[in-house]
Amino acid sequence: MTVGTRTGVRAGLIGGVVLVYLAMVGMIAAFDDLNLIGEQVTLGLVLLAAPPFGAALLAVRPRVVGGRVERPEPRAALVTGMLAGGLSGAVLGAWALVVDAIGIERVRQVFVAVSPKLMDIITFGRGLPVGAVILLVGGVVLGAVGGVWRTIRYDLRRPLSVGAGVVLLMGLLQRIVPTILDELSIERDWLYSKVTLGLTWLGAIVVFVVAAGVTAFVMDRRERAGAAAPGAGTVEGRRAFRGVLLLAVAFGLIVLPQLAGTIVSEILGSVGVYVLLALGLNIVTGYAGMLHLGFGAFFLIGAYSTALLTGANLVTAFGLVAPQFSANLDFYVALPLVIALGAGVGALLAAPVLRLRGDYLAIVTLAFGQIAVILVTSNWLQPITGGPQGLRDVTDAELLGVSFRTPQSFYYLVVAFCVIAVYVSWRLASSRTGRAWNAMREDEQVADAMGVNTPRYKLLGFAIGGAIGAVGGALFAVKVGTVQPGSFEILVSITTLAIVILGGLGSVPGVVVGALVLIGLPGLLSQFEEYRLLIYGAVLVAIMILRPQGLIPNVRRSRELQEEERTQDAWQQIFGEPESEQEPAAEDAR
Amino acid sequence: MSRLLEVSGITKHFGGLYALAGLDLHVDEGEIVSVIGPNGAGKSTLFNVTTGLYPPDEGDITFRGESIVGRRPNQITKLGIARTFQNVHLFPNMTVLENAMVGQHCRTRSGVFGTILQTPRTRREEREIRERASRALGFFGPRLAGYRQDQPAFVLSYANRRRLEMARALATDPTLILLDEPTAGMNPRETLELRDHIVRMRDELGLTVLVIEHDMRVVKGVSDRVIACDYGRKIAEGTYEEVAHDPQVIEAYLGTKAAG
Repeated sequence: MTVGTRTGVRAGLIGGVVLVYLAMVGMIAAFDDLNLIGEQVTLGLVLLAAPPFGAALLAVRPRVVGGRVERPEPRAALVTGMLAGGLSGAVLGAWALVVDAIGIERVRQVFVAVSPKLMDIITFGRGLPVGAVILLVGGVVLGAVGGVWRTIRYDLRRPLSVGAGVVLLMGLLQRIVPTILDELSIERDWLYSKVTLGLTWLGAIVVFVVAAGVTAFVMDRRERAGAAAPGAGTVEGRRAFRGVLLLAVAFGLIVLPQLAGTIVSEILGSVGVYVLLALGLNIVTGYAGMLHLGFGAFFLIGAYSTALLTGANLVTAFGLVAPQFSANLDFYVALPLVIALGAGVGALLAAPVLRLRGDYLAIVTLAFGQIAVILVTSNWLQPITGGPQGLRDVTDAELLGVSFRTPQSFYYLVVAFCVIAVYVSWRLASSRTGRAWNAMREDEQVADAMGVNTPRYKLLGFAIGGAIGAVGGALFAVKVGTVQPGSFEILVSITTLAIVILGGLGSVPGVVVGALVLIGLPGLLSQFEEYRLLIYGAVLVAIMILRPQGLIPNVRRSRELQEEERTQDAWQQIFGEPESEQEPAAEDAR
Repeated sequence: MSRLLEVSGITKHFGGLYALAGLDLHVDEGEIVSVIGPNGAGKSTLFNVTTGLYPPDEGDITFRGESIVGRRPNQITKLGIARTFQNVHLFPNMTVLENAMVGQHCRTRSGVFGTILQTPRTRREEREIRERASRALGFFGPRLAGYRQDQPAFVLSYANRRRLEMARALATDPTLILLDEPTAGMNPRETLELRDHIVRMRDELGLTVLVIEHDMRVVKGVSDRVIACDYGRKIAEGTYEEVAHDPQVIEAYLGTKAAG
């Protein structure tokens, strides 16, 4: 077997296993209800097509051989891709034949998701031997496309992939975009069908062409600007661009809930709460480098303390009663106390773990998160926290007669707090404090030797992170109106960490994007709900392998690297080659 | 000249191994003192104990007449002792300038609230930190200047990493700087350049320098006094010439036969 054949077979088998897995957990069947383009392209179909395509990409990826990057020849890439894709399809086809031979009903007793509907989808309604052949042929075609894809020029490939990505995204946003267009009374029937809910074919093509065209245009301009005047006007240009972008984002944030309706506002409210939580964790883990697996505890502390301080009631067998400890404060009076409590508990936790690092710290924080949940459900604290039933009637964060109970108004409240938290994170990142955290994260001992009081900055990290997390909890309590221990399971901590990792540790925009992807998307697509954790897991594994620095890494390196080279060239032209600069003076001075 | 650092009877053992066995030495203000000795003589342990990375088992270390045993490394740095490490320890993902700015940490005060509110004091201080860090980098001439300041530290060449580490130590505004084999791994030209830098640290910046060094040309060129160690003890002390001809030192380096 040649190298190409071997990688092709290996990638094909991986693709096939992924396909069978997706089929057997029921994702393909469940997502088949979601029309993306017309009636033909559903999310299920995309899911069916992705593994063969991905297998081909995997099989023909450039690899480093003997220190040189080797890209396969176009013809070899085509053949290897076809092999990988075809094999992926064939594996699923074979699986379908096996299931058919055993009998769907019998398979279904164990694998409940294997339904006649699923079989119908994967055989394209043609029944069995034919369906398996279609799978094989489809796999070969997709594999061929995937194989060739790698060999096309970058300036062609990039616009095409952006176009496809945007079409997919627009298809997934079918519950937001049409509502907004309707609200703006823009004719949208050409773009989104009212019958299938997804994009129309015309709409998809227009979106694709526009997205690809814009990308190509931007790439072309950037290239020309780079060739014409290296580094000229980039700073002002970028600053102006950033200003415009900021204004646009602000405007979008303000009008979005009005246009997108209640459901979307509700989801965005949840996203906002998680943004706050993740920003808090981002300070502890992203800035200061302390892995915290129990961050949900601050969420819990914020929610319960808000409930207690603003006069919520216990749920008991005798109806609602006031808890043993409570105060009837206004939300905005209680909030500073909640923040102080979050910071205090954060610092309190930090005190005993100052000497711990890495794994050990993670284990202690994990336990901390669990202890918090167990405490509020315990009999001991039941008179205060209400045990498993929790607390009811959490106050509304009313301000100047405006209630924040409706999804839209709550959205504004949470966005306001998010903006504050983003500002705090952003300021801290490039401050003396942020540098101390950064240094500590990179090398704790050296940071200490360079004059950074590391215990103090660990405490500070936990305290500030805890305070921001507690604000998230407070807003959550206001949003839901009740506080129950069930809302603070370990999953909250894990999800928060996943958001921070997905976005990129230490990256504030990353946190926002991470929350939108992990909280917003599943909320928008009801089909996702069942597979939420599966998708989280897959996303995390993928991000760790493909892009460990996160979606939006906090160092602006990728952009600057090219510029750096230009600056370096310019600098060398002025001062001469710096490294080989002769230093005869040292000799002569003797 | 007044006594700046006084190390008396310092002992430090790791398990059964005595890295330091009752070492005495002192450094006066404005001196450049070299510590030499074969590998494993306890030189780096001396630095680590002095800067508080670990506590001595016995003995006392005073800085300006005040005992510094039991203080945390960051407190000792604040008192005015800066150091570099034998194996360069930078903050690799921070920029060159940021690395030096961390050095200014112990000389500045702004906290979280000042940062969030952007008080004029904080902004002024941040500007000063930047200027002073830039100045510390400027000590090495064009080596760490210009576009380099905004590069992450990990892209620097080996020699520049060493220079950056020294610049970071200089940025802590020290009185005494401890250099742990500053020329290790440098080429002959860079070594000569560095020798001049060490002298400049005293002459231009008014620092006292305690340097561990293996390159005898450097030791000869910079030292007011040389201290030779072996097995965690001082075996000779004096000018370079005196120590270089001390039979015990020759024995430590070359073995008994050569000395005889």
